[in-house]
Parts: sequence; structure tokens; C-alpha cells
Amino acid sequence: MMDSARKSGAVLVLGGGISGMQSALDLAEAGLRVYLADSAPAIGGTMARLDKTFPTNDCAMCIMSPKLVDTGRHLNVEIIPGATLLSVEGEPGAFSVRLSKKARYVDLKKCTSCGDCARACPIDRSSEFDGALGTRKAIYKMYPQATPNAYAVEKRGIPPCRAACPAGVNAQAYVALLAQGKYREALDVIYRDLPFPSVCGRVCQHPCEAACHRGRLDAPVSIMALKRTIADTVWLEGGPQLVAPTPRPEKVAVVGAGPAGLSCAYHLARKGISVTVFEKLPVPGGMMVVGIPSYRLPRDVVQKEIDVIRSLGVDIRTGQALGKDFSIKSLFEKGFSAVYVAVGAHRGRRLGVPGEDLPGVIDGVEFLRKVSLGQTVTLGARVAVVGGGNTAMDAARTAVRLGASEVTVVYRRTEQEITALPEEIEQAKEEGVRFLMLTSPQAFLGTGKLGASGRLARMECLRNELGEPDASGRRRPVPVKGSEFYLDVDTVILAVGQATDTKGLDELRLSGGTIAADPLTLETSIPGVFAGGDAVSGPGLLIQAVAAGKRAAESIVRFLDGEDLREGRTLRVPEEEIAPYEALSATKKKRAKVMCRPAGDRRQDFKEVEFALDDATAREEASRCLACGACCECLECEKVCGPGAIDHRMTDEVVELTVGSVILSPGFSLFDAAKKGEYGFGQVPNVISSIQFERMLSASGPYQGHVVRPSDHKEPKRIAFIQCVGSRDCAHASDYCSAVCCMHATKEAVIAKEHLPGVETTIFYMDVRAFGKDFERYYERAKEEYGVRYVRAMVSSVKEVNPSGNLRLRYHTESGFRTEEFDLVVLSVGFLPAADAQQVASSAGILLDEHGFPVTDPLLPVASSRPGVFVSGAFSGPKDIPETVTEASAAAACASELLSGVRHTLTRVKRYPSEREVRGQEPRVGVFVCHCGRNIGSVVNVPEVVAHACAIPGVVHADEFLYACAQDSIEKIKERIKEYGLNRVVVASCTPRTHEALFRDTLREAGLNMFLFELASIREHSSWVHRDYPVEATAKAKTLVSMAVAKARLLEPLYTVFSEIEHTALVVGGGITGMTAALSLARQGFSVHLVEKEAELGGNYRHVKIALSGENPGAYLEELIGAVMSCPDIRVYTSTEVADSVGYKGNYKTTLRSVHETLEVRHGAVVIATGATEMTPKEYGYGESDRVITQRELEEMLAKGFVPQSVAMIQCVGSRDDDHPYCSRICCTNAVKNALYIKSKRPDAKVYVFYRDMRTYGFREKYYRQAREAGVLFIRYDPDEKPRVSPRDDGVVLTAQDPAIGREVRLSVEYLVLSTGVAAGANEHLARVFKLPLNQDGFFSEAHMKLRPVDFAADGIYLAGLAHSPKLAPESVAQAKAAAIRAVTLLSKDRIESEATIAAVRERICSACGVCVSACPYEARCIDEERNVAAVREVLCQGCGACVAACPNGASVQRGFDKSQIMAMLDEALSDGITEVIRE
Amino acid sequence: MNVKYYPGCSLHSTAKEYDESTKAVFSAFELDIPEVSDWNCCGATSAHSTNGQLGIALAARNLAQADAEGADLVVAPCAACYSRLKKAAHHIRRRDSIRQMSEHALDYRFSRVPEVENLLEFMHRRITAAAIERKVKQPLKLKLACYYGCLLLRPAEVTGVADPENPRMMEDIMEALGASCVRWSYRTECCGANLSLTSSRLVVAMVKPIVAAAIDAGADAIVTACPLCQANLEMRRSSSQRIPVFYFTELMGVALGLHGTRRWLARHLVSTKMVFEKLKAGVEA
Repeated sequence: MMDSARKSGAVLVLGGGISGMQSALDLAEAGLRVYLADSAPAIGGTMARLDKTFPTNDCAMCIMSPKLVDTGRHLNVEIIPGATLLSVEGEPGAFSVRLSKKARYVDLKKCTSCGDCARACPIDRSSEFDGALGTRKAIYKMYPQATPNAYAVEKRGIPPCRAACPAGVNAQAYVALLAQGKYREALDVIYRDLPFPSVCGRVCQHPCEAACHRGRLDAPVSIMALKRTIADTVWLEGGPQLVAPTPRPEKVAVVGAGPAGLSCAYHLARKGISVTVFEKLPVPGGMMVVGIPSYRLPRDVVQKEIDVIRSLGVDIRTGQALGKDFSIKSLFEKGFSAVYVAVGAHRGRRLGVPGEDLPGVIDGVEFLRKVSLGQTVTLGARVAVVGGGNTAMDAARTAVRLGASEVTVVYRRTEQEITALPEEIEQAKEEGVRFLMLTSPQAFLGTGKLGASGRLARMECLRNELGEPDASGRRRPVPVKGSEFYLDVDTVILAVGQATDTKGLDELRLSGGTIAADPLTLETSIPGVFAGGDAVSGPGLLIQAVAAGKRAAESIVRFLDGEDLREGRTLRVPEEEIAPYEALSATKKKRAKVMCRPAGDRRQDFKEVEFALDDATAREEASRCLACGACCECLECEKVCGPGAIDHRMTDEVVELTVGSVILSPGFSLFDAAKKGEYGFGQVPNVISSIQFERMLSASGPYQGHVVRPSDHKEPKRIAFIQCVGSRDCAHASDYCSAVCCMHATKEAVIAKEHLPGVETTIFYMDVRAFGKDFERYYERAKEEYGVRYVRAMVSSVKEVNPSGNLRLRYHTESGFRTEEFDLVVLSVGFLPAADAQQVASSAGILLDEHGFPVTDPLLPVASSRPGVFVSGAFSGPKDIPETVTEASAAAACASELLSGVRHTLTRVKRYPSEREVRGQEPRVGVFVCHCGRNIGSVVNVPEVVAHACAIPGVVHADEFLYACAQDSIEKIKERIKEYGLNRVVVASCTPRTHEALFRDTLREAGLNMFLFELASIREHSSWVHRDYPVEATAKAKTLVSMAVAKARLLEPLYTVFSEIEHTALVVGGGITGMTAALSLARQGFSVHLVEKEAELGGNYRHVKIALSGENPGAYLEELIGAVMSCPDIRVYTSTEVADSVGYKGNYKTTLRSVHETLEVRHGAVVIATGATEMTPKEYGYGESDRVITQRELEEMLAKGFVPQSVAMIQCVGSRDDDHPYCSRICCTNAVKNALYIKSKRPDAKVYVFYRDMRTYGFREKYYRQAREAGVLFIRYDPDEKPRVSPRDDGVVLTAQDPAIGREVRLSVEYLVLSTGVAAGANEHLARVFKLPLNQDGFFSEAHMKLRPVDFAADGIYLAGLAHSPKLAPESVAQAKAAAIRAVTLLSKDRIESEATIAAVRERICSACGVCVSACPYEARCIDEERNVAAVREVLCQGCGACVAACPNGASVQRGFDKSQIMAMLDEALSDGITEVIRE
Repeated sequence: MNVKYYPGCSLHSTAKEYDESTKAVFSAFELDIPEVSDWNCCGATSAHSTNGQLGIALAARNLAQADAEGADLVVAPCAACYSRLKKAAHHIRRRDSIRQMSEHALDYRFSRVPEVENLLEFMHRRITAAAIERKVKQPLKLKLACYYGCLLLRPAEVTGVADPENPRMMEDIMEALGASCVRWSYRTECCGANLSLTSSRLVVAMVKPIVAAAIDAGADAIVTACPLCQANLEMRRSSSQRIPVFYFTELMGVALGLHGTRRWLARHLVSTKMVFEKLKAGVEA
């Protein structure tokens, strides 16, 4: 073992569910520093999602939220949300751990959790927390009580639409904003990247749509049409309003006023740079006005958008040709700091075939330009357009409009390879354009001699067929020999490509007919000169030209700023940054169809062909977006965030930690019920999973606690629960039992009845596994009291019945097939390993078993395969909450044992200034009223409340804050306390539940006693509940403030008291539980008195001879006893009992008595581990025949080597009956264990097991299956019809009814083995000595069944092992460890601090009647016999107030809740505002 | 790809309309898919239940014929034929003993075992719903209950269907034709066709809830991709249940405006008139 000097006093706990929180709190209280990392944005895990808990029906959130608060506020627990484990290196005591921490995009320190951001967010995401029954926003808080109490943004990557757009236009954002009707905001998003929303909303090639993930489901979102609707709508409402930038001194020249040039000019202008654009043509716009015909892109649309660019100060000069009117050199001379050349590609290419120069053969680009500029073009009646791009379509359709009677597009490949958009081709066809595919012109023939002269008359063509793909990936046309034919034409328009007119570009280096420029930065051969668009790339898409302009602007700004031109830039979004397709269960929906004018009309003119989508259609279409990126970065949240907490530029980071130990508790995942298709989950709305039902029951869930069917929101009358969906199911690879579902379903069935009186609930099951403490009683109550119906049958199919939406279940019972109808079906889905279990395991270096759960020590279930790394909770296997909490403490104990030498080396203590004396001073109250963003301020008139507060007597200062809890507000409160000499503080804000501790701390930091604070809840109690009544809400807020001030005036400082601790523990019981606890305490550095009443150590475990899963019981026990006996810190007292004890936590004096001596020991804590006994059977002839034995006796026999040839076992002997109405938990496993042992030794042996429900929970299911496979016969019996037994000399004859075959069976076996139950030991004496409660079965009662499984209500005493309830050895060991660390959280402290708000006694009027003593659940009240008054043991008092309420003459008082204070509040409440409002 | 068509006995007898509509759809998509020459019984009748080896060998002979003709893929329109051919191909590929048995019985050595697809799968995968949608002349404004039965999908290890409990192939094609498909829970129930002659009372009990569920779900018609299902659902329903049962290829023919639809539909046992009146009314309205 490594020396302490190198060890770290910190522990990493991975996973912040109830398990992680418990481990963290135990460790932090035991003097270790804890990093609590969770992959989610908040801790809480699965328990936060539950409604109620069994078997107490406590509200899960109510019992858990104190733990959330404790964890969240603990000085030595650092929560790291959004973290995943990367690696664990090093050795126990000193690990270096790396975590990847996901960017939250919200500053935890600044976020006040007001929720304004979520209200602004346009993205709806299915809420995983609500089991997809509800939705949340992309910026969200997982649940109201989430810790840390802050929002987080979900980002899945760049949406594919945005990634596919060359200009990076944020399509997801503007589509999402459009869906909400936020047109102007949507347009602002487009304008971030693109100055041509109207243009690109009409004629873009929309690569975004090709990339749209929606296309995988049905058809891409009609993104381009949506953009047009946005732009057109905003133009109708006055047009875009761009923010004027701060001007910069530099001047930049842009050559070419096409899309590339103007885009560059726009982006530069938005940075404040002054730009002059030089254009050769008489009009600006480039191809947008001289290339694309106006029926596709009306000129005024382009004009308007150019005007917007002009409005930013861009100066456009037309009729200015580079190389003629100016040169690049001259521009620099005129003072331009940089130049961008984007002259486009306006020269048409030629085919290079004979006759191209004939009159009648014209160039397509030139043709379109002339038409656009209003110049005369002569066309014949028969026009052929050669080419298959958009220019060809434009030329053909323009020709139609100019009156050509016959227009034919001649293309050398097929329609499959054509580059024009399908909708273009479609529209051309509608307008009468003919298509001649697989045809190449060979020559143009004139009217003259040999066709080589005169006017064009016909075209010689050749047929093609398709060959191999060429460089563009399209199949190459191959001419067919001898297929020549002729086409009579008057005009041929060549639309076979464009090139840049290189005249005037001689200053620049050219390459292949275009300007040579760096593809990424667009730098040319001349420094400061950039070039882009078609002039660089050759003819491309409009959006590519726009993108080039944007990229050039970025380069130019960097150039002007002297920055690196390349850093952090890429040409396209890397694949791994693109949001992957989520197979969401979205319903198919048709893509919106863009309407066109009738073809007949549009042939006549150049008016626009397509209509914009109307608002309703557009919003419907926008709602088809799958929101692939989750957050769309529209930045609406940033706009509304008052505290400025949102930062979309945050990046993921790697956190490196040094820790001494690692505890893994990342939880589990649930079986996907859709995999069992026969139940219809995911298809049929009224079939839901158990976690969904849980959310449905939850008051904070998506249905606000209303149990209604998803299909019609009607209350169900019959609910069916189907068990073992994904559990005990070999076909779906989860062949183990999920251990909690039986009880979980029972609880849901019971709670459903509480929600819906009269509802019938039926549970379909294989075995009811109610094996935990008090579970059997709960199950019996569910049946008898609540009338939950249990049907032992597996359901084979669930069919939806139309039109009711009911479900028809088909199942097989012992009496044949049945069908039955229900209104709602709940599937009890099984537990699977955590989704990231594999990754966690490999990062942590631990092994997983065949199911994917961690391999653990058979007798210490929290020990993983790697020393120093511990596992707990459902991560290591399905288990319920108490076992999870126990394991969490056990894991903490293991870590604490490892690090006992470095306790308190890394813990932090907060120092406060000394407190100001305020007693006897006049109250000087300061009131601070919070707006809580819009939460309070939008309903309650805050200034009015402040004015009201100012007028209240005693108030010397009042003010308002947008967020009182924001860091700067806290500082201000502290300043005001000093400035105004405040001695009482009232904050009117949200709720003390989340914020009281923060404000109290503020007072302490300002030198005031923290109890001089009062919070008026004007959010929960006013603005939220009276949202629609602002006047009344304001009046009520004023009253609440008056009441708070009234109380505050009377507040007095409160103080805690301290008491010393005896740093030694007493462990009662020397079985494996007691010994384990004692050893753990000793290893954690505390000395132990271990008391055992028997002469030797070992307890019940001495009788365990046969292993279940690889352990060696004998060797284990021997080793354990050896360790205890040789441990110098453990003093063992055998044959000794506890006689008496006095004292309380931290200070006990206990008398131990043996036959030889009586002695007194002093100790600070007690662990009760007194075990239990095997029940002595009273039936089946036990004791009358030596052929009837117990399992323990069988085990002894087997261990001695005698293996009987045939045995029958009967389960539940002395369990689950009237005398012992509980399940003994261990007997099914023991029976299976011994049966398997017999079969392994004598495969031909006959073994019969008569059972009621086989309760081989969790992974023990495997042994049950193995036993059946080995030939052990399991026969069920009903308690009303138990097997009848007749012992003989040579064996036993049994007769029983076998329900599976419906007949009586008669067996003759060598031995009858009774699986006897576990009986509580004689605990009464000990219970009396330590004043501990016993339950009705004689076992000790813990403080709380769920969350305090090893504590007693009275601090200082802890519980473990069979004394708590029946359990298997590994479970006892875990509990022993858990009890040990719970004791260490007390023993490791220097002294004990009491609470401050505790009971006190007004001795003058106390009559010492003792009512308070009996009312106190914590042993904190007693009678001072000498003075004959009641007293308070202050360190024990929890401040519950029970004694105060019980005291008949008001002698018991509660500090901080004095009667005078309460009366003063009531006086205020009844005197002003609010009562008047009520009267009105 | 060399594709061969295996019609099976039904399509040459009781389900001629399925055969004709299939061929019409093939030619609408300019697919030239000839029959496997000299094909024989697939073995779905009594053969496979009385003699497993014979069941495999009968199917294997058809695969051998296709292989000899160079086929990469055999398309079977009948679910039972498909099941037999698919199973034979599956076993011959995976188990040497079965390959040897088959090759010995047929006196033939497979160069490779052709792929087997059912017609629905073939049209969905190779023609695609998108291509079908582009050819629609008359959108089918009908509410349809798509019915798969059992053999098209199960067992999933053999058919390779990813979602045997929740298939989408037929819905995709019907929606491409303009129809809306109702949600109902009986899409993959067995219709009992293989007991139709021997235990017809049992089969009546199986068919009735299927047809009732389709009617309750508001469907105008049931669509199938199997001659046995089609015949069984029409013959073994109760006389009060008058919902027509179509082959999916017939409805493709209607929507695509192919020739011969009237002739195909005239062969149905339940009149299809009602459906077409509704369709016509929808067009006029």
C-alpha cells in the first residue's frame, strides 16, 4: 500500500443520481473532497423522474430534494455537469482522471434560472426526462428542482442544411423562427450570412434541401420557399432594418456588382468598412439581372435587396470596366486598402462544330442578357436550345415567351443526368418546351451552298448512348455510329457553359481561363487583392458566388486587421461536426407544394411564375423541420437573457483531476419496449412504458398528474400492467430479473387507484417478487385493500381496438386462452446496463460481465475488478432505491478506508467575518424586491411593491433587482447592509426552498447573523398563481412583504451549540456483518469495541457451506475472523452482551456484561448487527421424521459429502403466512443453490421444488434457469392447497396439485427439505437499551425505508445485516460497510454542531409534564429531574417542532418561529390590502 | 441485374389478376422480368409439412433453374412461395448438408444461390416509392388497411426483415399512390390460409377478427401481397363483412392508370365497386 504522503484526499463520483449523491455526501461529511460528475446537465438521476416510492408511498421528489439541496450546497462537493469519463490512470490512492466536459453554453454562475430563455427558444425537443410524453426547449432545465439550478443548451452539431449551404446560412434557425411566426427575427438570421433572402428564396439551387435529413423520412423541408415567404412577408411590413455599424476608416474596392461582389460589399459594410463597387454593365446585379429571366426573378426583387446594401453605405458605380476605366493599381493609388475582383463569367462557350458562326446560332448568355437589358433579339419560329443546365431552361422558356412556336431542348445525355432542377424541367414542359435527349449537334447547316452559308436552316444531330461515368460522376454520352439525323431549326441557342471574359484582367495571374486565387482565402497573386465567384471557380451556383463574397469579406477584414488569413477556417463543415440523423418517430407529412401561375398564362409574359407560400402553409411546412442540431443558434435566448448568462461560443473541455478513489454510479437504461413489437409500443398510443406512467402520475410531469390516455386524454377505467417486458427474456438478451418491476407496478397500480377512484388495475406477471423489507405486506395490501388484480399469465399480444382505442390483450392462463379489453396498457420495462456502460468501463479500466454490468466481488458487490474503483447503484445491476443508497454508502466506505490517512487534507472551510451585535438595537430593515426576469415583474408591479415597502415602519431601505440572486445583486445587498446599517433583511422573490440558504449566506458574509433574514415568496405565492390578475397579485405581494417585515422586525440572532465526540464505535454482533463493519471502521481510522454474545465469531454464516457464484464461504469467514482478531484497533468481546447504555450521539457509556465481568466502554457511535435466526418449522412433519429436514440441514449434509438420490423442497415454510407475513428473501436462492449442487454431483438425482413465486431476483434468475435446464422440476402450489406429506422410514411421499398440468402429482423422495424462513432475533432488550424501534416482525426499523436504510432516526446509531431484515450475505456485507461510513460521518468530526432553529424551554411556565418528551422522535427532549423542568438536548434536536405543538401551556418554543413573530405576521395579513381584495 | 419471376401455381390459376397486374406494373417501369423457365411447385403445399427434405428440394429446383439461367435474383409474388424459396436459399447457403442433399437430389451444382425477394420487397427496394409516386396518374384517395400476414416477414432470421412486427413497405407504396393507411393492429396476424381447406372453421375464427379490425379502423379496403391471404380473407370472412381485398399491384395499376384493371377486379369475390365509386366521388368533389 502506498504511503499517505502521495495519496489524494479527493474522490471522483461518476453519476449524480441518488447513488452518487449519497456517496458524495457520505464522503464529504467524512472529510474527503468530492467531485460529482454527471453526463446530464443536472444531477438527480432516475429517482427525480419517479412519482411515488414503494412501500411507503412517499413522494420521490419530496424525499429526494433535501439531498439535492445538501449536495448542491456542500462546500466539499463540486458538481461537474455534462461530464463523461475519458480515462483513469494510476493506482488506488492516486489516480489521475480525465473527464470530457460538454459545453453548457450557459454560465452557471450567472444563470438565475428565470426561464426567459426557454420561453424565447423556438425549438421543441422531445423531453427524455418525461419519457417522450412531453416536450422541452433546446435550452432547458431538466426539472424544476434541478441541481445545479441553471439552464443548459442542447447542441447536436451543425444541422445538415446549414452545413450544406456554401454561405453557411442558418436554415434551421430561420425555419424554426418562421414556424413561430417570427418573420423579422428569421430574416435577421438570414441577413447574418446572406444579403439576398428574396433572391435566394426564389432561384437558389438549394443544396440545403438535398442535405435535409427530413428527406430520409419523406421529403426535404421546402427551405427555399420558406426563405422567400420570410423575405416577402417582411418586405410587406416595411422591409428589413439592419443595425448601422460603427464606421471604420478603411476603404475597399469591389470589382463586379454581381452576387459575389455585392455579397462581399455587404459583409464589409456591416463591419463598418466603406466600400465602392465598380460594375461594367449599366445595371448592378450581375447574373441576377442579366442572366436569370425575370419570370423567375423579378427585377424589383433584386433591386430592393441591392438598395438594402446601398443603405449600408455601399457606393455602386455602373459602367466602370476593369482594364478600361480603371486598373487595380489605380484603385490602390486612390486609397483603397484592398480590392476584391468578382467579374463573373459572362461569355458563352462554343461547341466547336461546323456552322457555329451562321446567323441564327446565338449564345445563350448573351441572349438572356440582351432580353434582360431590353435589347432587340430576333428569334425564328423553331428554336433549338443546346444544353441541359439552368441556362438552357432559361433560354428555352424565354424563347417561348418571345413567341417561338416550337422550342426544343437538345441534350446529349438523359433527363437523369441533366443539371437543371427537376422543377425547372417540369415547368418548361408545362410551357410546351420539348426535350430531345441523348442527342448531340454535329453541325449547323445554313440555307446557302452546301449548308455552309446563308441563314441557319437545320441542325445535324447524332444519337448517343450512355457509357461509363465521367469525372462529374454522370454517365458519359457515347455517339452511336450512323445515327445521324436532321432537325429543321430557325434559331439555335447555345447554352453549353460560360467562361470569364479575361479582357482587362492582365494585372492578375490567370489559370485555365479563370483568375488564380487561393480556394480558402481567395488571395490572388497581388497582396491585398482577392478574387472570387465565377471568375475564379468557373460558372457555379448563385449561392456559391454569394458564399465567395462572404469568404472574401472575412479575408479582407483579417487582412486589414493584420490577422492570419487561414487560422480556424475550413472550406466546408467537417463531417463529424454535422448533426447526425436521429431516427425520430415523426409522422410523415407531405411537403408543401409551391403554386404556379397556369402554364397558358405564363407563356405570354415575363411575370413571376411561382407564388410564395402563405403564412399558414409556410408555418405548417416549417413545422416539418426535424431540428437536427437541437439548438439552432438563432440566438433569441441571448437577446432575452437579463444576466447575460448565455454564451454560444463555449467549447467542450477536458478536466483533469487527481483523486484517491473513483466511484462509478452512472445508473442504467431501460429496455426499449418497441423491441417487443407484439405489444404495440411506439405504434399504439395507449400502450406506454412504466416510466412514462410514472411521469403521467407525477404532478410536475407532462400531464400534471392527471392519469389520462395519450390517444384521447380520457381517464382510463381499466389499466393493465404487463410485467417482465425485457426482463427474464432470453429472446431479447436480458435474461435476468430486473428486481424492482413487480413492486414498481404494484405501486403504480395502487397510486393509479388513488388518482382515479374506481379504476380497475390488473397486473399480468410470472412471479410476484415482493422480496424486500415490508414488500410482501405492500403486495398483500394492494390485493386486499386496494383490489389490484394479479393474473399469473404472460400476455402474447396487445391489439388496438378501433375506434375506441382500447387494447385487446390475449393471454394464456392455467385455464386456457383468454382475451380481455383494457383502456390503457403499461409495460413494466426491464433494466439494461447504462447506455454508456461500455465506454465508462473501458475508461475506468474495469471489466463487464456477459450482461454488460460490472464484474464485482461475489461477497462485496461494490468492489469492481480494479482496486480503488468502486461501483454502486443500478449501474452494477438492477436494484431498488434502498439497496442503491446502501451500496452508495458502502462504496463511500471502501473509498474512505483507502484514504483514511488523508482525511481533511483537501476539504475547504468557509471563513466569515465576525458577527455584528444587533441585540437591543432598533430594527433597521432592508427590503429587496426581485423581478425574477419576467417571472415576477411581468405580473406584479415591482416598483409599487418597493414604494409600499419603503413606507412600512422599520424599513430604512428598499430597492428592486432584475435578479436578486445574481452575483452582482448579492454584492449590492452586502453593500447596502453596510451603507444603511441594516440589521434585518427581507428579500421578496422566489422561494426559500431554493434561495433562502443563498441569502442567509449573504448576511453572514456581510457580518450579520444569518437568521436575521426573511424571504417573502412573491413568485410562487403571487405572480405564478395569479398570472392573469396583475392588480390583485401586486396587492398580495405587498401584503406578503408587510408580513415578512413584521416578522423580520422581531427576529433575533440564533446560534448553534457544540458538543465533544468520543471517536470510538461500538459494534453489537460478531457475524460477518458486525465483523465487516468493525473492520471498516478500524480501517477508516477509528477504534472499535466488537461485542458478540456467542463464544465465537461468525454468526449465521458459519452454516453456509456451499457457494452460489464462485465464493468460498469457509475460507472467507476464516479470513475475516483472522483480520478482526489481528486488528489492533478492534477489541473483541465474545460471550458478552450489552447490558445497558446511557448518553446520546457522540457520547455513549455502555455497560457490557459477560459471565466473568461487567465493564463500561465509552464510544461515540453504535452499529447494530445482531443478525437473525432460522425459523423452526411447525408443519410438514418436521421433527417427527428424520427424513424431513431444513435447507440448512441439507446443506450440512451435502457439505459432508452425502448427496441424496431424490429430494423435494417446499418453499415459504414459515414465510408469507399469517404468523410471518413477510418474505424471507433468501430461501428461493438457497433452494436453487442446493438443487444445483445436487444436480452437479448427481445429475440423475430427482429434485422437485414446490414454490409459490420463485423469487430469484436480479442476476439470481440465471441460477433458476440453470436449475430448470439441469432438470430440477419446479411445481407451483397455492397456499390454500399446500402439498400433503406422509413421511415413511425410507423417505417421504408427497401429493400436490400441479396447476401447470391441472392434475394431482404424487412423488416419493428420499428427503423432504423445508425452505424455512428467517426470524428476527431477540432484539427487545437491545431496542430498550438504545431506545430503538422494532417493526411488527421484530426486526429493527431504520430511519427511512428509502433514503436512510442503515440509519436510525436517532443520530449516532446505525443498522446492518439480518437485524434489519432478511437478506443474502453480500447484501449484509454492503450494509455493514454502509453503516460504517455513516458512523464515520459522525466520528470524523472534531465536535458536533447543533441546529440553530431548535426547541427551547420557557422554564418559568414549564410544569415538567413530560408531553414534550414523548412527542420527540429524536430523543432530544428530557426532564431535568433536579430542577424539575423540561430540557432540550440541543445537539439532538432537529427543529421539527413536534414538542412545541404538543406543549399544553406554551413552554416549549421554536427558535426562529416565535409566537410573537407569527402573530405579527397574521396581524399584517389581516389588517391591510389582501382582505380588501378578497372582499371586493 | 438478372431478375427472374417465379409466379407459383396460384398466379397461374386462382390469382391470375395478381399475375396480370404484376406484369402490368413491371412493364410500366420498363422492367423485363421473365419467368423462371420450367418452374415447379415451391413445396408450400403438403410437401414441406410431410417431408422436410422434399420441401427444400422442390424449392431448390426452382433456384437451380434460375441459377442455370444466370439469375441474380428471383422475385416471388406469393408469400408462401417466397417463404419456401427464401428458406431453401437460406439453408443451402448456410448448411453444407442441405446443400449436398439438394445438389444430390437435383443432380445439379449451384454456381451460386440466387437472392430471393418477395414482390412487395422488390418493388419497395428496387423500384422505390419515390419512383412510383412520380408515375401516379390518379391519386388513390382511399383509406387502406395494409395486410402482410405472416410469411412475408417471418421468421426474421430468414427473411432479414428488420421490423417484422411493424413493417412499412406496403404503406410506403400505398402512400406513394396517394392513399392513406389506417393504423390497425392486425397487419401481421396469420390468416390461417394453410388450414383453409382442412380446418375451415378454425380459419373462419382467425379471419373474422382481422377483417373486423380493418373495418373498425375505417378502411375502405384491405391490401395484400399474397394470393393465399387475398383468397382466404375474401372466402373465409363472415358474410356480413363486405370489405374488398386487393393485391397491392392492382391498386398500383389503378393509380398508375395501367390497362386491364377492370379485368383484374372482375375476378374478386367481394365487389370492388363501392371503392371505385368512392374514388370517383372523391375526384369529382
